[in-house]
Amino acid sequence: MQTNNPNKIAIQLKKINKSYQKGSNNVVVHDNFNLSIAEGEFVALMGPSGLGKSTLLHLIGGLDLPTSGHVIIDDQRIDTLSEGKLSIWRAENIGFVFQSHHLLPVLTAQGNVELPLLLTPLDSKQRKQHASLALRLVGMEERANHLPKELSGGQEQRVAIARAIVSDPKIILCDEPTGNLDRKTADEILTLLAALNKDYGKTIVMVTHDLRASEYASRVINLEQHIEEGKQSQLSAVEVNS
Amino acid sequence: MNIFQLVWRNSFRKKTRFSLTCLSVMIAFFLFSILAGINHALTSNVSSNNQYRLLTSHKISLARSLPLNYQQKISAIAGVDSVSYASWFGGFFKDETNQLAVLAVDHQSYFEMFDEYSMPKWQLEQWKNTRTGLVVGQAIANKYGWKVGDKVPLSSSIWMNREGVFTWQFTVSAIYQNATSASDEKQIFFQHAYFDKSRAYGRNMVSWLTPKVAEQADVDKVSQQIDKLFANSTGATRTTTEQVFIKERVQQFVDMAMVIKLVVIAVFFTLLLIVCNTMMQSNRERLNESAMMKALGFSSRFLITQVYLESFFMLALGALFGCISAQLCLAYVSHLFADFLPGMAIDNVHYLNVISLVFLAATLCSFLPALTLKRLTISNTLGAKA
Repeated sequence: MQTNNPNKIAIQLKKINKSYQKGSNNVVVHDNFNLSIAEGEFVALMGPSGLGKSTLLHLIGGLDLPTSGHVIIDDQRIDTLSEGKLSIWRAENIGFVFQSHHLLPVLTAQGNVELPLLLTPLDSKQRKQHASLALRLVGMEERANHLPKELSGGQEQRVAIARAIVSDPKIILCDEPTGNLDRKTADEILTLLAALNKDYGKTIVMVTHDLRASEYASRVINLEQHIEEGKQSQLSAVEVNS
Repeated sequence: MNIFQLVWRNSFRKKTRFSLTCLSVMIAFFLFSILAGINHALTSNVSSNNQYRLLTSHKISLARSLPLNYQQKISAIAGVDSVSYASWFGGFFKDETNQLAVLAVDHQSYFEMFDEYSMPKWQLEQWKNTRTGLVVGQAIANKYGWKVGDKVPLSSSIWMNREGVFTWQFTVSAIYQNATSASDEKQIFFQHAYFDKSRAYGRNMVSWLTPKVAEQADVDKVSQQIDKLFANSTGATRTTTEQVFIKERVQQFVDMAMVIKLVVIAVFFTLLLIVCNTMMQSNRERLNESAMMKALGFSSRFLITQVYLESFFMLALGALFGCISAQLCLAYVSHLFADFLPGMAIDNVHYLNVISLVFLAATLCSFLPALTLKRLTISNTLGAKA
């Protein structure tokens, strides 16, 4: 279990601008966006489609870089890291859970969970032990030798969560983890994530459309509202300064 | 779990596709190895161990004879060490289907000059002292069960003896082994003196002369001097080194080999396209997984190495089976063609070529997938759309 300091900022997005080129048009996704998440928080990012929730998650995870602005994780700016360093940083600090689990179909549950550990100095025996422990935590120990095609959607997502936590990252980023699941299974997954947050102190940022996710998260950020508030505070600042 | 296990599992992801591609690779390397075996047979006898031996034949054709007295005239040229000669007998044993390479040679000088033919000294002396004696290659002796002392009748389709028959009586005096090439143990030699005195026509003529040049002499210059000496006679000559002569004789086969080589190059090029396409297809199907692996922290280099190893594994497996089948096939076929094309075998240099080719092909086939993996953007591939 990790000991968290709730006053410590784990994730900080400062003056983020993100735009991309679509044909001849420059599409602005985020303009001067700010966000802070404390250590040990379970944040649900909600809001209508097209607001850039997944883009934010990718920026936090170092999967994408902002056009301008700072992405600071645990007091370290990651937007300035090279591709190689960013890969190493991701392996050490972030666990990902996606809507589509993207498990390797040729590997068993155990093999899939072991995969991120190939990047660590652990030997084969230690890797197996760690993977077994992660599978036990998500209740999939008995299915360790099954291939993904032999598992249900909920079980696959549990294995994906085990893969996300196996290298013991501080932050877990989830992009619509319950999007493909029925209500009962979605609740099981959310319970599991909440337990990882509560019992193991993982900082979790979850993008979701699932309104019931708010029951599990320690903070719900409605992105539309958050952006509006940001604009208001900017305006106020301008007025004060003038 | 390690990268090799990952490569192994990914390779057999689509078993049918992998097997068929592997089969194509196997066929290409089978053809390549069979050709190498044939090429070996065509060229193994070309490498003479004596670069100072020349061959002087009639300028117009090898079928035309030269006067025997050329031996003294050539011997008088500065730089010529010694001169021997030979005539083509064109023999067969009992039946015309049992064709043999029989040569009448100067018994005084021939085996001193061609020292790659080795035999016991007493046998050589015995042959020199036996007018009708034969020196037989070990392979021929084995084939017909001949031993020293056996009486052997050999027939010629060209030469009639003075008794008016084409069958000549001989005695096996010596059996030789060839120290340099096992494929050249199929010749038979007998004394030119006996041949010359016994034949019904063409006396005092030889098929070709073999001058040996002194080591310090200029081979080209001596060759030119020999040809210049007989330039204006009816027996004008053409002198080349023995190596060039043999190469020219096998030229027709080498040209055929060239055609086959071109075909094999075309097959390999097609093969490269097939393997390349397989690798690209396989890579395209796994882009999401590759993006996920990148998200987990795997570098582009790791993913590229993985693709390279997959290409290498597929090519190496195909090449291995291709070479083994070619080796088995050549082992069988070489017996059937032992008389027509001896020396069909795959040498170690060919295997080095195969290994190099596998490495090269793996690099070429993984180049485009590697480029795709290098350019792979995780966020786009994993579906972040604003």
